[in-house]
Amino acid sequence: MHRSATPPRPLRAGRVRSLVAAALGLLIGLAAPAVARAQQMSVSGTVTGAEGAPLQGVTVTVVGTDIRAVTGGNGRYQVTAPPDATLNFSLVGRRPVQTSVSGRGTVDVTMERVAYLEEVLVTSYTEQRRSDITGAVASVPMEAVNRQTNASVLQRLAAATPGVTVDASGSPGSRSTVRIRGISSFQNNDPLYIVDGTPVQDSYVNWLNPNDITSIQVLKDASAASIYGSRASNGVVVIETTKKGLVGPPRTTLRVRTGMAQPVRGYDDFLIQNSLDYFQVVKASYENAGQPVPTNIFGSATSPRVPGYIWPNNCGPGGAPGPCNTLDLSGYSYPSNLIMPGSTGTNWWKAVFGTGKLTDVNLDVSGGSPDNAYGVSFAFFDQTGTARYNEFKRGTVRVNTEFRRGKISFGENMALGAERAFGGIGNDAFGEGAILGKNILMQPVVPIRDVAGNFASGKAVGLGNNTNPLKHAFETRNNVSHNNRVFGNVFGAVAPLPALRFQSRFGFNVGQSTFAGYSYPTPENREPTNTNSINENQREFLDWTWSNTGTYALTYAQNTLNLLAGTEANAGRDRFISGSIGQLLNTAIPSRYIQDPLGDPATKNVSSSGGRSALLSFFTKADYNFADRYVASVTVRRDGSSRLGPANRWGTFPAFGLGWHITNEPMIPRSRWVNDAMLRVGWGVTGNQFIPSGRIVAQYGGGRGETFYDIGGNNNSIIAGFRATALGNPNLKWEENRSTNVGTDLTLWDSRLNVVFDWYTRKTSNLLFDPRLPATAGRAAAPIVNIGSMRNTGFDFSVGHRAANWNVTFNGSHYKNEILTIAEGRTEFSGPYGVRFGNPVRNRVGHPVGAFYGYVVNGFFRDSADVANSPKQAGAKPGRFKWKDINRDGKIDANDRTIIGSPHPDFTAGLDMGFRWRSFDLNSTIFGSFGNDVFDTQKQFYIFRNFDTNVRKDLLANSWTPTRQNAKYPRLDYTDTYSKDLSSFYVEDGSYVRLRNLQIGYTIPANTPWISRALVGTRVYLQGENLFTITGYDGLDPALPALNVTGAAGDVRDQARGIDVGTYPSNRVFSIGITTSF
Amino acid sequence: MRIASKHPLLFGTALALVSAAALYGCKDFLAENATPQGTLDQGTLSTKTGAEGTLIAAYRQLDCNRTNGAWGCAASNWVWGSATSDDAYKGSEATDQPAIDEVELYHWDSPGAQDYLDQKWAAMYEGVSRANAALRLAKAVASSGQLSASDANGITGEAIFLRAHYHFEAWRMWGNIPYYREDDTDFRKPNLQSAQVVTELLRDLDSAAKLLPATPRNGQKGRVTSWTAKAYKGRVQVYANQWAAALATLTPIVAAEGGPQSTTKTGWDLSQSYDQVWTGFKAQENGPETIFAYQASANDGEPEGYNANFGERLNFPHGGPWGCCGFHQPSQNLVNFFQVDAQGLPLALSAPSSWNVRDTNFTAADLTVTVDPRLDWTVGRDGVPFKDWGVHQPGWIRAREWGGPYSPKKNVHEKASGAESTVGWVPSQLNSVNIHLFRYADLLLMLAEAEVEAGSVNNAMALVNRVRERASRKAQGCGVPTDTAARRVLVTRYPQCAPGGTADTRIAVPINDPSITWARYAVGQYTSFPSQTYAREAVLAERRLELGMEGQRFFDLRRRGIAATVLNAYFNTGVGGGAEKNRRAQFKGAEPFIAKHNLYPIPTNQIQLSKIGGQNRLTQNPGWPQ
Repeated sequence: MHRSATPPRPLRAGRVRSLVAAALGLLIGLAAPAVARAQQMSVSGTVTGAEGAPLQGVTVTVVGTDIRAVTGGNGRYQVTAPPDATLNFSLVGRRPVQTSVSGRGTVDVTMERVAYLEEVLVTSYTEQRRSDITGAVASVPMEAVNRQTNASVLQRLAAATPGVTVDASGSPGSRSTVRIRGISSFQNNDPLYIVDGTPVQDSYVNWLNPNDITSIQVLKDASAASIYGSRASNGVVVIETTKKGLVGPPRTTLRVRTGMAQPVRGYDDFLIQNSLDYFQVVKASYENAGQPVPTNIFGSATSPRVPGYIWPNNCGPGGAPGPCNTLDLSGYSYPSNLIMPGSTGTNWWKAVFGTGKLTDVNLDVSGGSPDNAYGVSFAFFDQTGTARYNEFKRGTVRVNTEFRRGKISFGENMALGAERAFGGIGNDAFGEGAILGKNILMQPVVPIRDVAGNFASGKAVGLGNNTNPLKHAFETRNNVSHNNRVFGNVFGAVAPLPALRFQSRFGFNVGQSTFAGYSYPTPENREPTNTNSINENQREFLDWTWSNTGTYALTYAQNTLNLLAGTEANAGRDRFISGSIGQLLNTAIPSRYIQDPLGDPATKNVSSSGGRSALLSFFTKADYNFADRYVASVTVRRDGSSRLGPANRWGTFPAFGLGWHITNEPMIPRSRWVNDAMLRVGWGVTGNQFIPSGRIVAQYGGGRGETFYDIGGNNNSIIAGFRATALGNPNLKWEENRSTNVGTDLTLWDSRLNVVFDWYTRKTSNLLFDPRLPATAGRAAAPIVNIGSMRNTGFDFSVGHRAANWNVTFNGSHYKNEILTIAEGRTEFSGPYGVRFGNPVRNRVGHPVGAFYGYVVNGFFRDSADVANSPKQAGAKPGRFKWKDINRDGKIDANDRTIIGSPHPDFTAGLDMGFRWRSFDLNSTIFGSFGNDVFDTQKQFYIFRNFDTNVRKDLLANSWTPTRQNAKYPRLDYTDTYSKDLSSFYVEDGSYVRLRNLQIGYTIPANTPWISRALVGTRVYLQGENLFTITGYDGLDPALPALNVTGAAGDVRDQARGIDVGTYPSNRVFSIGITTSF
Repeated sequence: MRIASKHPLLFGTALALVSAAALYGCKDFLAENATPQGTLDQGTLSTKTGAEGTLIAAYRQLDCNRTNGAWGCAASNWVWGSATSDDAYKGSEATDQPAIDEVELYHWDSPGAQDYLDQKWAAMYEGVSRANAALRLAKAVASSGQLSASDANGITGEAIFLRAHYHFEAWRMWGNIPYYREDDTDFRKPNLQSAQVVTELLRDLDSAAKLLPATPRNGQKGRVTSWTAKAYKGRVQVYANQWAAALATLTPIVAAEGGPQSTTKTGWDLSQSYDQVWTGFKAQENGPETIFAYQASANDGEPEGYNANFGERLNFPHGGPWGCCGFHQPSQNLVNFFQVDAQGLPLALSAPSSWNVRDTNFTAADLTVTVDPRLDWTVGRDGVPFKDWGVHQPGWIRAREWGGPYSPKKNVHEKASGAESTVGWVPSQLNSVNIHLFRYADLLLMLAEAEVEAGSVNNAMALVNRVRERASRKAQGCGVPTDTAARRVLVTRYPQCAPGGTADTRIAVPINDPSITWARYAVGQYTSFPSQTYAREAVLAERRLELGMEGQRFFDLRRRGIAATVLNAYFNTGVGGGAEKNRRAQFKGAEPFIAKHNLYPIPTNQIQLSKIGGQNRLTQNPGWPQ
């Protein structure tokens, strides 16, 4: 233990914004009296880490002067200093070193890492030493974050932090579902993000350039998070971008990365690719049903052949339906008489999915003097999706500055972001209608293009009614979303005494997002559409947060007390305008505007909507430390929300935490094995009010298409009507989340092993939710009420080992979510997402949110005797699924459905490893999810062939027959409308282990011959992401994003997790990158 | 800054107080941001405009609309009253709307059927809810003096009538339903027994009849009158088999027929000819035949065509000028039913064991068979002109093996009527053809039923003959279309339709018009009803011929207690020499129609939602799972 090296405590409180230990060193320099200049000498040297690698970015200051330097990539520095000077070396995450020059010309220094408990973290309005933190706070290892290529920093959090899960699709720039320790509400479970002190709730955070981020802390329990009371019930992610410069000349870092992406798996891996193979499935499903096999496409069932043409398909004798092998092509006309050639086997997956490209360029410049510091960065990110015509682009500029004038400091952090996302795939456009879902399950006999080169589709009877997925991608390639953002804050602080400091910060989040889309005609479809239309919308919003805090630090003997008090006001408004028009005369992009002459003005539709909300808060916090042995903190926050009922607007959120630093007890002997041990206990209450605003009172409205009516019988005129659209609840109050956390931080074996373990339980009560009303109450949106409760219990841990040339961190987490009560008299309700054959989700007391629901497969009916002897079941026949008689009433009906699975994993784990050998380094991250189920609704299509889609390759060979009783699938029978009912057949184990990342780097060493010195320290690397996956899941990708489902009370995607509706698979990315500084 | 450094606590306290005051000072900071944006509030609607508008919304719910889903709530009841009967198939193809197949095959506890049932249930109670909202507002606004007494009575009467209509729709589906009035606040009420519901219905219809004027308010044809309420009362009584009461209700209404509408005249009569009943021609719409209809409108400024025949939009030939979707196809059984004997009377009555033998496509080539001309107003069949759209062609059918060779016709507008929408998804299937909810022929035939049950079979025969006489006036004519290609096809096939270069564009012609070469038509008059049983059958047969494809047939069979017999014979055992399962393979999967099918199952979802204290307040109908 080297606690003596820790800087004195009052300084920590005094310089709140100084994030890094480096700044502490700087302060020492400022505080010391000026020294008269004696004779000077040149001092140079190399700074290395304890593990031997050169350290870049170390600030070297000559104590008592303004002289400073920063080490380059080779760890080298050079300063001019008096021979008796003292040099101070400082770097984030390293223990500062001071050493005397003593006349030496070369001063080489080795810097040790800061021990875990001595890390300084920015948590709640202030920064704290890890050993003073009593709550569950995880620091995200930025090295692991930077090893990933996702556009969103949120998606890079996965696998790196225990207790944090991230789900996202493979679409570039897609939405992320970040969950901290499971979920605590029926809706709106996104954590609160605090970016440079400004709160924001956002599922994308794409406007933030990941390279700008200095640190990320995850506040997981209430005792850590409750200072953010109002919106902290789902945890808080504190993101700091303050990559400001240090004193010295401008230092520039350039990072360039480029790569290629492919989907981790394709449907062509397991769907039939040959037209005649597919016909065998059709044939069996008719023959088994005792029906004549359709002949209109492949001709005779006994000698089928791929037809010359599949449309028009009345080529049978006398114009009857039949296969077309010869046809007069001159009859072709678009769009009324299309002719499509039969295909021997179209690979629809390959038609749409292929290789995507990735480019990420980042340049930042930073520098400063004792009185100011600045950091400026520019970045450009461009990724094309693995699906055709899908692309995400982003440009960002960030300027962070800080100025110090004696006791006053002020500055700003500001980011400008511009994003563009192209293509009809959209971040959340999953399900049937998009290119994935059933559209990609086109039969192999359907050609991509017709005889004239126009897009084809399955127009003949028996080819389904899907849209050509390539056409969909092509026609919507110019659908574009823009998202422009100005996000940042200005702040000023005054520290009239070293121990007292006041700060005021005004944060803003100003955004504008637009979308322009095109709906194309589909004359080639089975259900053709001959009209076109465009739609566009624009949302603009302004969110501001003004916080004022004061901190005071008291030290008396071995007692330290830090006090914080503050107020915060937050208000936001947004406005959404959308419009559409159809039947454009010219569909070229320059003509895609909503103007009367450009289309049919009768189809024009324009509307706007908006929202306003506000929060007001008062909070205080006291942190007490006695001799670094006992730590205690108490927080109280009082919040008012405009969203809640006037009488219940204000909520009070208390929390406390206790810490015992066991190894600092004098009676505990020092041990090499246990270097440091701390026990933590925390308890606290957080709140949630994140519901649409204005739901206190009943709302009325209507629309021309639903309440207006032609009462006069005029045929073409309507008069206005109104209906209740939403019922209000004047008694809305805060949802409350009470959590208890018990944790320990251990540093073992000469600081080589860090162990952090936390156990928690949290109970949410007064859940804000809009339980569905019986239809007899009408269709107005049900009032949001405070009902029900749920509990999450779990643990998370991380174990890290650090040796000279290698390090490894293993983290794991487990949670159990359980609905405790729903409402008086109610024990369950259905999920918000219906699929073709029913609703797969039932939220039921005693089970987790989003549990799967259906029949339990109890084998197949073996024969007619088995049918007769089994409980009576509608549609029972040999080879069909037999359901389990759950309620044992001797018959099978809807009451025999039960909970059949859970999308929640039992355990998730991340393994991060690093090796170093000479100038090479190797890093990898493995992620695993265990025990989660997936509800594969695609089986509706690729097993049950709903809409005549393509099917799995093994369907024919593994279907039930009288001689294949132990089959995987039920008997092929197109009249079997029973076996497809939602059941445990759709539920599969979604566990998987995936190599998220593997990176090999090389840093150009100082002594490299024939390399310019300027390039020394430059690192080049090769990396692969998602290189392999081990899973038993039969579908495309077990790493499913949550669906985009919104109810009247907000985002309810947690009630539709683990449902595979055909989602954009993860990407396997190979990239190469270079990082250099000069 | 000197003050600050000398008196840090003072300074800090001052700063904290100033900022706290600044925030707290605007006391209304939270309240100001609490107002919902972009909606109407209670106060705004507590006016005459609000009360009238709320009533309008109650009318609008008569058909599906953009917020209550698709086809399960169609005003015509084509899913519940037609596809489930021997009139029609779901049609289209196997994979489109398979839930309706489940309904058609009586798998009513399947998830798909449950979804559709839920849709209907929800739509009907939304109607009730809107009507009750109008009643509450009318009361509040009238008491504040903003409504004249006549408007207050009118709004109240219309809303009570609509409430009765929605409950009636629910009642004929489910029988045992809860009944909601404007002062109900408990929306988990237990259901009433079917007979109690009838009492409630009659009570509401009586109140409505007392409050309503004899002519529509503001002269707006869509509004109901005291006559509508009285007629509807007779309908409810017929449905409840209260024959004597029905006779007493309906007889004076028929006695007061003809116009102009007044306190002594209903204004109702049979329309001139059958082609004027279902039509897009504005001049014919809302004619004397209309008692109560959903007033469809097209090109009314709504950009998606949602106020047009929304619930019927699937029910057009899939090919030809429409392009989608080929649902609600007439059954072979229905087509066969239109055959007549030498007297022009239904073959089904005179040849009960052989009228339904034909399994094959009944096209224009089958000239040896004489049919009731209503066949070609009800059913589109190959070779026969389809209103003024040209000849119905094989390519208009979506999946012949699945849905048979026939198309629905009544809901299709005449091209010349201009009733077609120019906007919306497949605008050619959207039109302003009104959906009849209750029409005069229906009323006359219900009165005929009451007469039969009263033993006065001759009165019944007169009513039936009156309906038949009207049917004998007009048949499908050439209707030569304006579309060049369609015209060429028609004229090539029927040269007589272009005599001397002038196209015969008449859609309706006398049934023996020389231009007709695609069919032989005859409608005879009954000369006697030899027995009450025969009379019953004849009236029911007439209802089928007259009201075919109008969503009535299934309910007729059920209320007469013969649904099991007729429908099992229709699908399985065969009737008149044929069974539908041998014509359309999918019907082999039909469940037998048994006692439980006499009521639809209450959606299990709604039963679940009715729970209080762990107990379901809604009770499921007999035979169905909770």
